[in-house]
Amino acid sequence: MRIYRRPNHFLQNVQVVAVGSSYLVQSAAYKMQASRARLFKEYKEVQREKSADPDIQLVCDDSNIFKWTALIKGPSETPYEAGVFQLAFSVPEQYPLQPPQVRFLTKIFHPNVHFKTGEICLDILKNAWSPAWTLQSVCRAIIALMAHPEPDSPLNCDSGNLLRSGDIRGFQSMARMYTNLAAMPKKG
Amino acid sequence: MDSEDDMHDANDVEEFYSSDDYDDDDDDDDVVVESDNDDYAYDNDSDDASGKLTSIRHQKNYTVLKEEDIRQRQEDDIARISAVLSIPRVSACMLLRQYKWSVNNVHEAWFSDEDRVRKAVGLVEERAVESQNDKELTCEICFESYPVDKINSASCGHPYCCTCWAAYISTSINDGPGCLTLRCPVPSCDAAVSQDMINTLVSSEDREKYYRYLLRSYIEDNRKTKWCPAPGCDCAVEFDVGSGSHDVSCLCSYSFCWNCTEEAHRPVDCETVSKWILKNTAESENMNWILANSKPCPKCKRPIEKNQGCMHMTCTPPCKFEFCWLCLGVWSEHGERTGGFYACNRYEAAKQEGAYDESEKRREMAKNSLERYTHYYERWATNQSSRQKALADLHQMQNVHLEKLSEKHKIPESQLKFVVEAWSQIVECRRVLKWTYAYGFYLPEHDNTKRQFFEYLQGEAEANLERLHQCAEKELQNYLGDGTSEDFNSFRTKLAGLTSVTRNYFENLRVAMQRVGKRARPKYEDQVKARRIQAVEFVIIALISGKWDEWV
Ligand SMILES: [Zn+2]
Ligand SMILES: [Zn+2]
Ligand SMILES: [Zn+2]
Ligand SMILES: [Zn+2]
Ligand SMILES: [Zn+2]
Ligand SMILES: [Zn+2]
Repeated sequence: MRIYRRPNHFLQNVQVVAVGSSYLVQSAAYKMQASRARLFKEYKEVQREKSADPDIQLVCDDSNIFKWTALIKGPSETPYEAGVFQLAFSVPEQYPLQPPQVRFLTKIFHPNVHFKTGEICLDILKNAWSPAWTLQSVCRAIIALMAHPEPDSPLNCDSGNLLRSGDIRGFQSMARMYTNLAAMPKKG
Repeated sequence: MDSEDDMHDANDVEEFYSSDDYDDDDDDDDVVVESDNDDYAYDNDSDDASGKLTSIRHQKNYTVLKEEDIRQRQEDDIARISAVLSIPRVSACMLLRQYKWSVNNVHEAWFSDEDRVRKAVGLVEERAVESQNDKELTCEICFESYPVDKINSASCGHPYCCTCWAAYISTSINDGPGCLTLRCPVPSCDAAVSQDMINTLVSSEDREKYYRYLLRSYIEDNRKTKWCPAPGCDCAVEFDVGSGSHDVSCLCSYSFCWNCTEEAHRPVDCETVSKWILKNTAESENMNWILANSKPCPKCKRPIEKNQGCMHMTCTPPCKFEFCWLCLGVWSEHGERTGGFYACNRYEAAKQEGAYDESEKRREMAKNSLERYTHYYERWATNQSSRQKALADLHQMQNVHLEKLSEKHKIPESQLKFVVEAWSQIVECRRVLKWTYAYGFYLPEHDNTKRQFFEYLQGEAEANLERLHQCAEKELQNYLGDGTSEDFNSFRTKLAGLTSVTRNYFENLRVAMQRVGKRARPKYEDQVKARRIQAVEFVIIALISGKWDEWV
């Protein structure tokens, strides 16, 4: 049996730079005030660039900066075209280190959206989240998801099965129907 | 002092047995002997010739690594890659992690397609943070502006403020080992967050966690290493995959099977063991009563707690009834006097033992499969706890009694090795015996010849082990107390003799079990291994005896 008894140089080799400055903070202390500040920045950005992205309209709750809603336009050349879909954002205190929770308030027939709860299956809202995303860019990612469904991770099995079995027309007519039923802006 | 002569006596017994017919197995290592140092650490550092010889003879196909060894190896591998590929050590570390710490695979991948590897690992080309002459930069996480010295970035140059970096890295570290592959926050950017950033940006607590994950990755991602499963043990074992026996023994003295990480179970195979362990879990609710450590004395019905390793029980005064723990039968009918083997070793025989109390009922229940299982389980569990006790006794012997014995009988400790050998043999045999009951449980019931032959050998082995255990446990007491010491030499002869006889019986049992299992000649690689060891031994002997020139 060979037993290694050599001294441990490993950690000594690591160059540890003394950090006395203010940026070495506990993430716990960081989060609350930092998320507020960041959301406020996003709010101001949204106000300033209101017309920059005509497909997205983000609104912050009057009394709670951690609650947002968004209206997004269904992408063209999809069964969601001309529909307007409402999203609800619930932002955690650890934001932007943790992703916001987003769900559809408007009924939508889509393989990656739960038909009853509106829950969305999207990687960037889960393990692929990055603090570089904003509420605005999340909306854009959701619009992209509407245009490019991923039937292999379905939250809506019926819709996923239609797509996976190649019944594009069946899927499109169902999605179209629900868009007409639930997402059409009331006229007048 | 005639102790030298007695040592010869003991050795003679051993020689007599080791040269008998049973030992015709081509296997080069006598498994039971080898295990002598499985359960307690031999002094491998001794520089004398015999020390070298033993270490060659018991050449292991595994290496136990302590935490500092692991760090050292990891560090060595990183240094090697760093030197060969001329890249910084932090990059080398990331590369190795990506390729499961295989230096060869890193080399291969790197030299076949460096760009692809760089991309996969996140080693993007160094790019400085873009800044227009001292202008402040905006951190894309908190959206605040900072002077350049408060901004940091991975090799890609994407700027974030140090506070956001710290929070970003810390969140990832507290999320788990995924932090080892953390990338730049820009979703489309592959640049890895290097160790340098971790060292400078996060709290010492998080840094420690990170390096703990890095250390764990070295063992857990590597195909050739596993952690020792003993609770509280920090050692790991590196195993030469594809070589011989899977049993390994950690520095903490825990022996386990490298293949299935259950407790060492040679000569029983992993499949039988996992079946048996699954069965035990399933049956454990029924088995609770068996685990109770006391049984009523068969004579006076007072509960008796088993606190000694051997099966010979003596009830407390005034009863003093002597009986066998397993079958609760009268001990006098178990001894050599009756000339028979221990009847309680065999299930068939246990059925017939119904002549004692409550016999009728018991015999009926014997037909029940639970009863059959109980029979085997009880013996399995009893040998397990006997082994535990023997292990404790062995340590007690080494640490306390040996010195006492040496003083009392004026014998150097070096000549008392036979006591330690006896105890080591007991510990090892209890382990083997324990697993033979799992093996026996799964022997096909219809194959009577096989079963009877196996149970015969098992019975013989067990009977000898009981004699050895009793001798080591009880008779030795006489020589530790104030009694006379005149016949210490005959005790030595007896104990050493029993040790070697028991060893041989267990070796027979092992050989028989493996024959039944395979019925094949020793594997080719075993033969090659045997030849190789012989060759190495030859060289060593030639060198240390100064006859190299003469022989070669
Ligand atoms: Zn920042
Ligand atoms: Zn980057
Ligand atoms: Zn261990
Ligand atoms: Zn195993
Ligand atoms: Zn009694
Ligand atoms: Zn018995």
